[in-house]
Amino acid sequence: MVDAEMTDSKNPAANLGMLLDRLDRQVTHLDSASRIGKTDHAIRVLDVARRVLLHEDGLPALRERAGTMDKAGLFSGTDWGHPANLLPGLVKHTLTYAPAPTITLEAISLLRFVAVASGEYAHPTLPPAQAEHFLTQVLALNLDRLLGQGADEARRNADGPLTPAIDRLMQYVMQEIGTEGILDHLIDEIWRIMAQRPLQVDHVKAMIVQIAQALQSGNAKAADAHRGADRLISALFGPSTLSRDDPGIAAYVDRLSRADARTVQDEAYAMARAMHDTGLVSDYHATYLRWALEADHATMLPDALGLSSTGLDALRCYEPLVRALVDAAIQPGTTQAVYGLSLMLERGILYSPPIAPSLWRLLETPLSGDGIAALEASCGTALPARTHLVAGIIMLLGQPLGVGQGNNPTCQSARALSLWALNDPDYLLWLVAQVSRGNGLILHFEGEPLDTGTLPPGLAVSTLLDADPVSVLLVPHLDRAYAEMGRRCAGRPEDPHRWINPELHGWWVGRDFHIAVDVATGALKDYEGFLRHFHASYHPQHNGNQPVIHPQPAGIAVTDSKGTFVGWHAITLIRVGLDPAERMRVYFFNPNNDSGQDWGHGIVVSTHGCGERFGEGSLPFEDFAARLYLFHDDGLSPLAPAPVPDGQITDIAEKGRKSWAAGRADL
Amino acid sequence: MTDKNSDKGYIAIFGWSLRCIDALEKFDRRYVIVAPAWAEAYAVEHDIPFVAWDFERLNDRSFELATTLDDMGVDVAIPLFEETVEWAGAVNSVLMKNPRLLGQSMLFRDKSLMKRRAQLGGIRVGIFEEAMDQTDVIRFLRRVNQTLLKLDGDPNDPIHFKAFDKAGCLGHRVIRTADDVASISDDEFPALLESHLDGWEFAVEAWIKDGKIQFLNISEYVTLGYSVFVPATPELEKWRGRITQEIEKLIDVFDIDFGFIHPEYFVTSDGTMYFGEVAYRPPGFNVFELLERSYGFNAYQALVLVFDPKTTQEELDAFFPTPVADAKGHAGCFGVYPRRRVVSNLEIPAATENHAYFDFHELAPPHAQKVTKRTAFGTHWGLVYFFGEDAVEMRDLLKAQEELDYYL
Repeated sequence: MVDAEMTDSKNPAANLGMLLDRLDRQVTHLDSASRIGKTDHAIRVLDVARRVLLHEDGLPALRERAGTMDKAGLFSGTDWGHPANLLPGLVKHTLTYAPAPTITLEAISLLRFVAVASGEYAHPTLPPAQAEHFLTQVLALNLDRLLGQGADEARRNADGPLTPAIDRLMQYVMQEIGTEGILDHLIDEIWRIMAQRPLQVDHVKAMIVQIAQALQSGNAKAADAHRGADRLISALFGPSTLSRDDPGIAAYVDRLSRADARTVQDEAYAMARAMHDTGLVSDYHATYLRWALEADHATMLPDALGLSSTGLDALRCYEPLVRALVDAAIQPGTTQAVYGLSLMLERGILYSPPIAPSLWRLLETPLSGDGIAALEASCGTALPARTHLVAGIIMLLGQPLGVGQGNNPTCQSARALSLWALNDPDYLLWLVAQVSRGNGLILHFEGEPLDTGTLPPGLAVSTLLDADPVSVLLVPHLDRAYAEMGRRCAGRPEDPHRWINPELHGWWVGRDFHIAVDVATGALKDYEGFLRHFHASYHPQHNGNQPVIHPQPAGIAVTDSKGTFVGWHAITLIRVGLDPAERMRVYFFNPNNDSGQDWGHGIVVSTHGCGERFGEGSLPFEDFAARLYLFHDDGLSPLAPAPVPDGQITDIAEKGRKSWAAGRADL
Repeated sequence: MTDKNSDKGYIAIFGWSLRCIDALEKFDRRYVIVAPAWAEAYAVEHDIPFVAWDFERLNDRSFELATTLDDMGVDVAIPLFEETVEWAGAVNSVLMKNPRLLGQSMLFRDKSLMKRRAQLGGIRVGIFEEAMDQTDVIRFLRRVNQTLLKLDGDPNDPIHFKAFDKAGCLGHRVIRTADDVASISDDEFPALLESHLDGWEFAVEAWIKDGKIQFLNISEYVTLGYSVFVPATPELEKWRGRITQEIEKLIDVFDIDFGFIHPEYFVTSDGTMYFGEVAYRPPGFNVFELLERSYGFNAYQALVLVFDPKTTQEELDAFFPTPVADAKGHAGCFGVYPRRRVVSNLEIPAATENHAYFDFHELAPPHAQKVTKRTAFGTHWGLVYFFGEDAVEMRDLLKAQEELDYYL
């Protein structure tokens, strides 16, 4: 008899009907349950709803019922009970990693947003426009599901039985909301991300491919209706006259070889312009550079890299090295390194005596087996691992603030890489040289050597896959060293970063240390005094107009968009200065992949438009101070050459106490 | 929340059950929950009327509890769990000024006293004996099998070992060999020993008011400790008349004026009925849930009605449906035990999930990978609920679940 029912279940229509009957009944029970019984019944509803979700034709049926389920109290008592407060950025993680009932709840909630956006269901606190906007953002952030490809290894690992259903859900939401809305949003989003000039742009490129396809499919309005789309697409697929129609690498080389000198020159200008405009580098650009060097057009190099007089001078001084770097690292698969190379030359770091010889050493050093394996796991095997490594170093040296921690709990290590690339590039190259030869780093902590090859793993438990090549090689070791330094500080009366930060990063990290929190109790410790010290150290109007000399590690108490404490986070303080509106701002580096975060109570980190350089985030001085809990100081500025008004300190302290420090006692 | 009717009784529930509170929230009787202090935070947070009480402590403070409740104006106490039965008896004897209620509750709490009382009242029971230690168990096992004219080496007929004062299947073991006896730990004594009866085991739920049965349900066990469904198959329901007579005997012998009883019986192939035991509280295995699914009435509300001294017969007649005839179908549930020693995943078998009778489940993913060896009944990992038209199909479906893996 059980078998007989099984055959029945192969008739999908009948099966769905049966499931919907069950669902409707459970929803009725949920509706009539008292406030005490809601949870119990909600779990039952979710179990049946999960099965409907798995059914190929289940989505419209769930959408039809989303409003009823909402009113019956499915979401009450959970975060989803306040749909207006939901964050689109969290949806992806929930849909990928949460247990099945939570994924189902999220899916029904999204269908509820569809129902609200389309006017089928009115929710008292969720206007249709907001629902649509939310879905647009969710779609933009879940494009990998829409593309049905490019799922990264991390997601593959997390794939559960609901994955096909959730992919289908995203397709359905896009079909209902329309690509129109997301294209514009997506384009803006890409420009916003690219304004931070990240090293990792694979996901951005994938999105641009998707946009190009949508525009070509004719579903969307003409390309010019989507401001900025054409620039992004052409930067990748047709940055110049000869590549305008995306002819393919071979055809492009053929065209170049038959082009006249003027055309070859124009190609160089066009490539460089597209690159500096967007931060994206076309595969044609890498092809052009290789071709120019091989075909004896090396004079095109400065124009193709878009160099200013500084970069041009560096190129002229170190031309053999630059040619060797192009030869070793720049291929259509590592084309972003062109941008890194250009910016590295512009930074003038080659003039620092150890840099050029370090890069020559890099070019001559073979990679250890472990290093090759790690890079192949992360970057693939289409190009040799060494090509990726050299390209990765060029990019990191060109864009020290472009490094991101990926989806790894290793902000300390990512920040360290950025700090060295910015301030101590030859040290960074020394670490790479060490790790390339053997499998480990020797770092020193208070005079004692630490061999990371023999230390237990730190915070990063699995291999880093979603990171740049230098991070892939170094972060596992830095992470272990960081953890070991923490162990060696165990039992000391203060926060271990007091000792770790200078020892891990370099002498230039200030040995004076200020922290707003008592480590043992978590209580605030002379918060107002801490803020006064911060002004005296870093505020130009209170520290005798001293600039930040070396980038300094600092600690932020990260809060969510409601101002609730989320966790401690490592950032770099880069500079403090007046913004175009004459407001004092702190410019800092956040090793998170996207610095543009909302920390609640109106504190939203700006990433462009307020005088930021590429990769910097910025906040008005007092907003930054209101989330700061730890900083270093060189010890040269005594308290208050120009005293800080009490009101200013009180205001900042109040912002801190209302957000991350809420509930913390004062010692 | 349903508006409360102050002309009706004010009841105190002894024990913490969210299902019960959910039912009370939707009912017109005023109520207060008397439960251990660990539930207090939840109760306060959700505005549930609450008195914290530790039922594990000795009985000598029951008068204090009775006075507290009396001062609040409470009319009657209703026990939800085995441990609270004598507390309710003690408190009710004060609230209702009827000292007999305490003695009655003590009978319900001691399986041995209960059997003797039933036997004295002319109710047929199997062979039973109290055991103080393992040697008593061995002796009983041997004696029973000698009586059955077994020779040395023949497989023994099993005997049942039950903790004196535990609910339902908790502490219930089936003993066949001396090895089984050796696995009983000392703290499980004293216990009740019973001969095994080959027959059809079933349970009854009876709501009683004014010494009269208001509603009688027969719950059919497919396999004891695994599955139950209501209403029973027509084959068992045909004994309803005889069963009703037996319940009336129980009411008489135990002198029950009001309340709810949950006795267990065996009926042998010749139609002889043996009394197993009786509890004065809702059954485990969620028969209440099944009754609601099948008949549509809330069994907790029914409980309140029969305990409340201010309930009228008209109210009861309007509340209870006609047994069997008014059932919309058969509702059953199956208690899942992991069948493997090491499990990591919960996976509802496709054959079960796709069955038209499958309703819902309350299984949680495994917390520990290693499954502890089962020595006694009564520690299932959660229930799976079914509902359907046909009693025989329900029975076979529940039986089939025993051979399926839910935890892999």
